[in-house]
Amino acid sequence: MNNPASRALIGLGLLVVMAFAGGCATVRPEQRSVLADPIMQFESESPEEAQLQHVLENREGSSGGGSVKGGGCGCN
Amino acid sequence: MKRRRSPPFRSLLGALAALAAGVFAADARAQVVELDLNNATFHEPSGKSAMTVYNPGATLTVLPWDWLSLGVHYEADIVSGASEPVKAGPLSSPDVISQASVVDTRNLVSGSFTLSRRNTSLTASYTHAAERDYKSQALAVIAGTEFLQRNTRIELAYARGFDKVCNVAYPPNRDPSVRTPLDSSKGCFTSDVKRQEQDIAIDTFSAAWTQSWTPVFTTQAMLSFGLNHGFLGNPYRGVVIGASGQVAQEHHPDDRARFSGSVKAKYYLRGLDMMIGGSFRGYKDTWDIISQTYELEAERYMLPWLRLAVKGRVYNQTGALFWSDDYTGGEPEFGPRGQYWSGDRELSPFKSYLGGGKVLASWKGTRDKRLLGVLLDFSAGASVDVIKTELEDFTLAGERPDDTTAFVFGLSIHGGF
Repeated sequence: MNNPASRALIGLGLLVVMAFAGGCATVRPEQRSVLADPIMQFESESPEEAQLQHVLENREGSSGGGSVKGGGCGCN
Repeated sequence: MKRRRSPPFRSLLGALAALAAGVFAADARAQVVELDLNNATFHEPSGKSAMTVYNPGATLTVLPWDWLSLGVHYEADIVSGASEPVKAGPLSSPDVISQASVVDTRNLVSGSFTLSRRNTSLTASYTHAAERDYKSQALAVIAGTEFLQRNTRIELAYARGFDKVCNVAYPPNRDPSVRTPLDSSKGCFTSDVKRQEQDIAIDTFSAAWTQSWTPVFTTQAMLSFGLNHGFLGNPYRGVVIGASGQVAQEHHPDDRARFSGSVKAKYYLRGLDMMIGGSFRGYKDTWDIISQTYELEAERYMLPWLRLAVKGRVYNQTGALFWSDDYTGGEPEFGPRGQYWSGDRELSPFKSYLGGGKVLASWKGTRDKRLLGVLLDFSAGASVDVIKTELEDFTLAGERPDDTTAFVFGLSIHGGF
């Protein structure tokens, strides 16, 4: 169970369990005005964030954990 | 020279035509068109190997019906500068280090659609990118659903990349230690017998969970797994691998599996009209690179239409198992450093620090009272980020490189019609 694939699978399982556990804490629709504000959105898809991530991924040896994408790196 | 419309350009024209058809065929009551224009300028000053990259982009999104969104995106990387084509270590003479100019443009187009129904959505996209020595095609599918009163969102994504890189046409059985680096992109992706195309397959799978815990607190956790297979080095880069100065093309393993997990959190301080957030990301791959990324951010409404954001980021990584700053020290023939060699500083151990800020002005209209008579909403932003890298074990023939500070300037405009 020490290989990375097993650990990733366990992590994914934990993620699903925690998701259902999260149902205990609910925010009613009328309470969502702040959460709906752009300032509270996770910006993985915004163009500015994507461009900065593109730069960082071309300068660092690790990538992943963001949105899936393709297109090469333009870094040769 | 006869000018031909490149495949990306034709793809873009086709996508735009399809989008236009969608707009005009749709029910006017449901129409929304969004246009995003942006540019990031990356500049890395250096006495010998300065690098500048302009990355303009445009995204057009059309929502002809409530359940359908169509998008087309274009971006380019316009690269100019210089880099060192040969990597040598401290045991080599500094004379082997020279600079070669780098001028290239990568064009990327992508098209996507999103189907939405109640609390679920399905997005599919196709991306095509091309530069003189590299071509890429990628398909991606993203499925997401919200439940528990929309407090929980789960998103699964898969992408497959079909890339091709140009290389010297050496025979497959030629020993890597006598392969020479690619000297230019001349002849790439033509019938030139001195060139070959080598495949790179890229599979990426990710799962994300976004959770609203209170009216002012939300988190996102993500797991990602990636598998790269094919030619994973830089065909232009040579590495000094012999004490006599023998240079061979960079040689990396053909497979690389990547695993990463991240957690992000955002909290809204009502009294200050400000969001504070933090994130951690851990990464490990089969080349034995382990990295950690820590980020802190804050964003505040200075005025109802004006936001100011600041952020800081610390990144730390170990080197690849086969990384060495000098391969001429009698490495064993079958150890990782004997079988593979790299001049890529991204595979060396280092830390980097990022500090940045962004200002964004945005205005909203209504269907009855549009901004300037046409816009539902409009925003414009500017950002600057500074990245400082501390290389722990990378030299160019024993000399520390001076291109370790980079600046990224961003501009963006958004309009909704």
